Amino acid sequence: MKREMAVIGFVACLAVGLGIGWLIPGLLTPASTPGQTLVDEIQARGELIVGTDAPWPPFELFNVTTSTWEGFDIDLSQMIADELGVTLTMTNILFDELIGACKAGTIDMIAAAMMVRHSRAQELAHSVTYIRVNEVIVVKGNSTLSITSLNELNTTVVGCQAGTTQYDALVAIPGLTEGVNLKVYPKADIMMAELDNGVIDAAFVDEPVVTVWSKTYSQKIIFIVPAEPMAMWSRWEEPELMMVINKVILESYRDGVMDDLYTKWFS
Amino acid sequence: MSNTPNIQTIFFYILSEGLFATLALTALGLLIGFAIGLLLALMRVYGPTEIGWFASGYEKIFRGIPVLVLIFIFSFGIPGLFSYLEPLERPIAGVILALGLRSGAYQSQIFRGAILSVNPGQMEAARAIGMNGFQSFRHIVFPQALRLAVPSWSNEYAVVIKDSSFAYGVGIVEMTRVAFDIAANFPVLMPLSMAIVAILYLIFTYPVTKLFGERQTKKLKDFGMGGG
Repeated sequence: MKREMAVIGFVACLAVGLGIGWLIPGLLTPASTPGQTLVDEIQARGELIVGTDAPWPPFELFNVTTSTWEGFDIDLSQMIADELGVTLTMTNILFDELIGACKAGTIDMIAAAMMVRHSRAQELAHSVTYIRVNEVIVVKGNSTLSITSLNELNTTVVGCQAGTTQYDALVAIPGLTEGVNLKVYPKADIMMAELDNGVIDAAFVDEPVVTVWSKTYSQKIIFIVPAEPMAMWSRWEEPELMMVINKVILESYRDGVMDDLYTKWFS
Repeated sequence: MSNTPNIQTIFFYILSEGLFATLALTALGLLIGFAIGLLLALMRVYGPTEIGWFASGYEKIFRGIPVLVLIFIFSFGIPGLFSYLEPLERPIAGVILALGLRSGAYQSQIFRGAILSVNPGQMEAARAIGMNGFQSFRHIVFPQALRLAVPSWSNEYAVVIKDSSFAYGVGIVEMTRVAFDIAANFPVLMPLSMAIVAILYLIFTYPVTKLFGERQTKKLKDFGMGGG
C-alpha cells in the first residue's frame, strides 16, 4: 500500500513539475506592450545589440590592440546605431548560432557578411543588399592544385566554415564527405592556420577574407565562384528596425559614404 | 598591446580580459551544481525507491548530454527563457544554468558516495543518544560527508572550469575567447596564444586539485575517515 502511494505521489509530482516547467517560460515572457516596437525597446535600452562572427576580416574583427571592433560591417552597424541615437554593442557568436540567437531575441540584428539565401530568409528577414563578393578556392602559395569546376575537389581535402553558403555548396559535391575529406571549421583563423600547415589542401572562403589573410600566409586563389549578395538580418516581426537599416544603407549609397567604405576596407 | 605582443603581454592580456568571466561562470556553475547535487544525493540515499529513480533518471539524462549542446539549448534554444534579463545577459544565465545542471548530475554521485561512506554506526549512535533522523544527519553525518566529498569535489571544479571555455561560442568574453581574439589579430601568434591559454587553465586547476585532492585525501586518512 505504501509503495502504491509512493508511485502515485511520484507521478503526481512529475505532472506538477512538468506543468510548472511548461508554464514558467510563458510567465517569464513579458506581455508585449501595445505599440511598443523593437525600435522603441532599443531606444529605451540605449544600445543596439548586433551579433557577428569575428574574425572575418575585413568585414569584422575585434582589435585587441585598441580593444575596439573594426570592419566594414561594424562601420555600417555604427551608422545604424547613430541613426537610432543609441550606442553600438557587438557580440561575438559562432556563425551557425547567429540565426538562432536573433530569433531568440538575444541580439537585435545580424551583421556578419551573411549572404541572402532561401533557407535563411525562411527564418529571418534581410535588408537591402549592400555588397556582393566572390567565393574563392584558395590554396597554399606553392601548391600545384588546379581545378576547372568545384566537383574536381573530391580528390582533395578541402575546408570551409560551418553554417556558410560555402559549406552548403561543398557538401552537395559527390565524393566530398564531411569529416573525411571535407573539414568544417567553427573559426576562419583556425582554417587558415591548418591550410598553411598542410592539414587541408584548399579552403573555400569569401574573396576579401583571402586578401587579408594572404598578408600573413602565402596563399593563392585558383578558382572563383560568383556568390549571392550580402545583407543585414533581423526578425520578420520587426519591420520598423528593418526600415531604419534599409534607410541607412540606401542613404549611404546616395551620399557616397558607401563608396568611401568600399575604398577603406576593400582596396 | 604593442604591435607584436610578447609572451608576457599576451599572458596578462588574457588574465585581465578573461579571467573574471571564467572564474565567475565556474563559481556560479559549481554553486548551482552543489545545490542540485546535494538534493539528488539525499533523494537517492534517504528517499523511497521511486524518488531514487527520479534522481538517477536526472543523472542519466544530464550526464549523457554534451555540455556544449546544453549551453546552446539554454542560451538560444528555448525562446522566452530568461526574458526578464537584458538580452546580452541571457546567454550568460544560459551558460551558468547549463554548467550547473550538468555539474549537479556529477556532484550527486560525489555526495551520495560521501554520505554512504560515513560509518553507519555514527547514525546509530546519534539516534541512541536521542537525536531524531534529521538532527543526526544535520549534526553527525553531513559534516563528515562534506569533508569526505572535498577530494572528489576539487576534481569537479577542474571539470567545470574547463567546460566554461565552451561559453566562447555564445558571445561571452572569457579566457578562451580572448585567446582566439589575439590569434585573430596576429595569426602568426595563434600557436603561442593557444599554448598560453592552455597553461593558464592548468595554473588554475592543478594547484587546486593538488591541495584539495591529494593532500585532503591524506589528511582524511590521518583522521581515520573514509572507507567506513
